[in-house]
Amino acid sequence: MKIGYYPGCSLEATAKEYDMSTREILKELDVELEELDDWNCCGASAAYSTDYMLSLALPARNIAIAEKAGLDVLAPCPECYVRLWKTNDAAKEDPKLLEKINKTFKGTDLEYKASVDIRHPVDIILNDVGLEKLKEKVKKPLTDLRVVPYYGCVLVRPPRKNSFDSAENPTSLDKIISTVGATPVDFPMKTKCCGAPLILADEDVMIKLADALFSKAKELGADCMITACPLCHMGLDGKQTSIEKAYDKKIDMPVLYFTQLIGLALGISHKKLGLDKNLVSTSKLVKSFSAAPK
Amino acid sequence: MAEVMAQVVPQQTIKLKDCDPNFVKEVIKAGGKNAHICFQCGTCTAGCPTVYAMDYTPRQILRMVNLGMKDKVLQSGTIWLCASCYTCQSRCPRGVEITSLMGALKSLAIKEGVDVKNIKGPAFYNSFIDIAMSNGRMFEPMLFLKFAMKSEGSLTGAAKAMMKDAPFGMKLVMKGKMAFVPHKIKQSKQLKTIYENIKKMEGESE
Repeated sequence: MKIGYYPGCSLEATAKEYDMSTREILKELDVELEELDDWNCCGASAAYSTDYMLSLALPARNIAIAEKAGLDVLAPCPECYVRLWKTNDAAKEDPKLLEKINKTFKGTDLEYKASVDIRHPVDIILNDVGLEKLKEKVKKPLTDLRVVPYYGCVLVRPPRKNSFDSAENPTSLDKIISTVGATPVDFPMKTKCCGAPLILADEDVMIKLADALFSKAKELGADCMITACPLCHMGLDGKQTSIEKAYDKKIDMPVLYFTQLIGLALGISHKKLGLDKNLVSTSKLVKSFSAAPK
Repeated sequence: MAEVMAQVVPQQTIKLKDCDPNFVKEVIKAGGKNAHICFQCGTCTAGCPTVYAMDYTPRQILRMVNLGMKDKVLQSGTIWLCASCYTCQSRCPRGVEITSLMGALKSLAIKEGVDVKNIKGPAFYNSFIDIAMSNGRMFEPMLFLKFAMKSEGSLTGAAKAMMKDAPFGMKLVMKGKMAFVPHKIKQSKQLKTIYENIKKMEGESE
């Protein structure tokens, strides 16, 4: 299958390893990506916190670009994903809203029809590639590795019509972890907010929320956590040393993108998965499971 | 729970003359969707991960919005502590889009130029949108710089804040995860046109 790829700003910078590993594993799973031409920032939470129409127009421009190319949109960053699907699903149901969004495009050659679908890589792997195919492709099962499936917030919330997973008790990442031979930790805080959206505006709150997740993960004997979100990753991986400092303790919990975990099991080299870009060292995992580096 | 209970504001008389009956309409227009159908069950407050740090709980904010207590709502710390996690919105038995409502309240506070001590939310969102609209894509070094300037209000304050975050920034640079030059999209003019159209549309409907 072929799909329009919308990396979003994070995947070009602070979440480079998410971009690298997403491209690598989807190539291995026969999903062809065509990056959308000249895509723009989705506006994230900043757009709807400053101007409502802007929060619809910014995602819509990207969807219009995908429509021109005749492709559905794949958005790995859950914040981009939610901004795109919320705009698109609302415009599909409400012709007046669609018209209003197009009014913001007046004077440009953009035309938005709300005619394509917005997808997430977790959804693609579960429902298009399929777990059977994923299992067939596993070269190095991640045996005995205890992994926390951390869903965070907007991957599954707010509930979307025909969503690939439940908002209250999601299981898609659990299934992926099992399929690659690892053990999903039954994690009661799997959808509890890590606080990372407040990373700049209110770091103390973020540190308190993220610490609660680590305490629980440690208590349950986890070897690592996985996430699908660049912002969660920034908080849990990037700011882990700040949390250690604030509470004067050692956490030392590798936090991987779920695509990096899959990549390890598919036998892709750790360099290609960007496992050397995580701030908390992943070398133990790499030593145990990675193919020889090239 | 004790923490939350301790923060419940003491009972006070709400004077109608201090309330703005049009406030809820204004909020709905700003993206607050269906704020008026809240029946005050408190499910939003029960699930909120940041409520412990709020001055008013989400349920209280909803009541205050519907009573038209505009000034108190827009000056509350609560709206800036909303992490947009959508837990309240997902669980609301009335289907109130509470996260969207918090976004709408933030946008109104920003538009009214509300300035509350120690609240850095407006500085963050304004910096973010400035960069997104001029370049078309985020550029983190500029975001840190702009945010520090806006939130600290002085060059020395900004420099101090930047120094504090410098070790983290350096780590990102070392890992090749921080760009040095911004990426400007080819059609950045389109964004300018879109922004102008939106301003015009807002002017027309008032």
